[in-house]
Amino acid sequence: MTPDMKVTIAGVEFANPIMTASGCCGYGEELARLYPLSKLGALVTKSITLEPRLGHPPPRTAETASGMLNAIGLANVGIDAFIRDKAPFLARQKTRIIVNVAGATIDEYVEVSRRLNDVAALDMIELNISCPNVDQGGMEFGSDPQWTERVVAAVRKVFSRPLIVKLSPNVTRIADIATAAESAGADAFTVINSVVGTAVDIETRRPRLTYNKGGLTGPAIKPIALAMVDAVHSRCRLPIIGVGGISDWRDAVEFFLCGATAVQVGTALFVDPDAPLRIVRGLRDYLKRNKLTSINDLVGRLEKY
Amino acid sequence: MTKATCESTRLIKRRNLKNDYYSFTFAPFSAAGRCRAGHFVHAKLPTGVVFFRRAFSVAAVDTDRREVELIMKVMGRGTRIMAGMRPGDPVNLLGPLGQPFKPPRKAERAILVAGGVGFPPLLFLAEQLMMRGHDPGRIVFLYGGRSGADIIERNRIRKLGVDLRIMTENGSLGRRGLVTDPLKAVVDGGVASRIYACGPEGMLKAVNDLAQNLGIPGQLSLEAPMPCGIGVCLGCVVPLTAGGHARVCCDGPVFEIGEVAL
Repeated sequence: MTPDMKVTIAGVEFANPIMTASGCCGYGEELARLYPLSKLGALVTKSITLEPRLGHPPPRTAETASGMLNAIGLANVGIDAFIRDKAPFLARQKTRIIVNVAGATIDEYVEVSRRLNDVAALDMIELNISCPNVDQGGMEFGSDPQWTERVVAAVRKVFSRPLIVKLSPNVTRIADIATAAESAGADAFTVINSVVGTAVDIETRRPRLTYNKGGLTGPAIKPIALAMVDAVHSRCRLPIIGVGGISDWRDAVEFFLCGATAVQVGTALFVDPDAPLRIVRGLRDYLKRNKLTSINDLVGRLEKY
Repeated sequence: MTKATCESTRLIKRRNLKNDYYSFTFAPFSAAGRCRAGHFVHAKLPTGVVFFRRAFSVAAVDTDRREVELIMKVMGRGTRIMAGMRPGDPVNLLGPLGQPFKPPRKAERAILVAGGVGFPPLLFLAEQLMMRGHDPGRIVFLYGGRSGADIIERNRIRKLGVDLRIMTENGSLGRRGLVTDPLKAVVDGGVASRIYACGPEGMLKAVNDLAQNLGIPGQLSLEAPMPCGIGVCLGCVVPLTAGGHARVCCDGPVFEIGEVAL
C-alpha cells in the first residue's frame, strides 16, 4: 500500500510535508527552472517588508563547519512589488504558498499582513519574529513573550487566514514564547530560525560578515532545532513545522518524531537544489518499509527515556 | 537563461599545468554542449570538509564526448581538495550557470584581457570565437600574471593564431608590466573594438575605468563566493552603479562595463 504523504496544518492540506524554508528560495522563480514546484509540499517566500530593502553590504554569507552564517538583512522587493510582480507567478504554481512577513515595528507587520489578506496566491503567512540580522524588529519581538503576544495579536486582527509564527532559538525558554503566540491567536509554529553566531578572518582581524554577526544555519544547528521542536511540542498543542539543518529524509524523520507535522529545507537547497524531492522519495520508502500509512503515524512518537 | 543540469559525473583527466594550476576534465556531463564562454559550473566535492559547492568558470567543452574542462589554481580548502582528486572520483556538477559573454560581431575586434586565475573563461571565449569563424587577426589576447609561473596553456592560445601578448609584473615572461598597460595602445587601432576581461578586482577596475574613458564597450566576468549559485541565497551580491545590488551568480558573472560599482 502506498503511504499517504499528505499532512494538514491549520485546515490547509499539503501534498507532502516538505517545504522550502524562507530566505532559501527567493520567490520561487529560480527553483522552478530546475523542477516543477508542485513536487514541494509548500514554498515559503523570502521575508516581505513594507518597503523594499537592499539588505546589508557584502560579504553577507560565510561558510562554517557543517553550515553557514548569513546576515543578508531581509533584502526583499517590498510588499507592493511582491503583490504586483511575484504573486502572479506564485498563483500559477501547483503548490501551497506561504508568505513570510517581517517588519521593524508592529505597524509594519500589521500593514504587510493586511495587504496580503486579500492576495489569492498565498495560503498562509509565516510571521518572522526571529530574524537575527536586523537592528529593529525581527528577533526582539520573538525574544520577549509580551512583545510576541502583542505583534501576533495585532496581525491576527487583520489576517483572517492561517497564521504561522516562526520562533527564535536565541531565547531562554522557547516554549514560553510559543505559549504567548498561541494565546494571541497563532495557528502553527515554525521552529527554529537561525542561531546567532559569527566568524572572524584572523588575517584582517575583521568579522567575516559586514553586519559583524549573523545567523548560523545548516547541519550544525540540527540538534538545537530538534531539542526546540521537542520543547515546543511538549508544551503546546499547535502544529509545528520543523526546520534547521535538514538535508536528507533521515533528518526529516527525526523532526517528525520530535513533534513536527511538516519540515522545511533551507540551507541544503544551496548545495542540492533538489534536496526536497529526494527527501520526499526517501520518506515514502521509510513509511513503506515500516508499514506506516501516514506521516501522522510518526509525529511526536519519540520514545523518551 | 540556459537550463541548468544537476548531475553526478566523474573526473576523467587531471593535469598539473604549472605550480598550483590544474586542469580537470569531467565526463559525462550531459549539459556540456550548452556551456558557453562565461558560464560556470557549481561543483559539489565528494567530502564533508567543505560545505558549499565551489564555482568554476568553464575553460573548454567537448560536446560530442560530453566533457567539461575546468582550470583552477589552488587557493583554499576547496581547490586543495580538488587538486588531490584522482581520475574516477565522483563530482556532482550543477550548470551551466550564469550569464555568458555576448560574442562580438565578426567585423569587430575582440580584446580579451586575462589576469591570473581569470584566464579560463577567456580561453574558452577565444576558442569559441575561432569555432564560429572569427578572424584570428581581429582577436587580441592580453594575458598577465605576477610572474611567468602564473601564465599557463600558452600553446593552446598560440595555436588559435590570435594576437597573444603576455605581460608579467616581474618581467620573467613576456613584457614587464601590468596586463592593462598595453590596453590603451591596442584599443587605439581605429577598428571598432569590444573588451572582455576576467581577473583580480584591481585589474577589472582598471579595465572598467579605461574602457569607460575611451568609450569602448565590453564585458567583465566577476568572481564572488557563491553559496547557492542559482540566485536564491543573495550572498554574492555586488553594488550596481545605477543603485541596488545584482547577484553575481545569475545576473552575472558577466556584466557590461560600467554596470557594476567596482
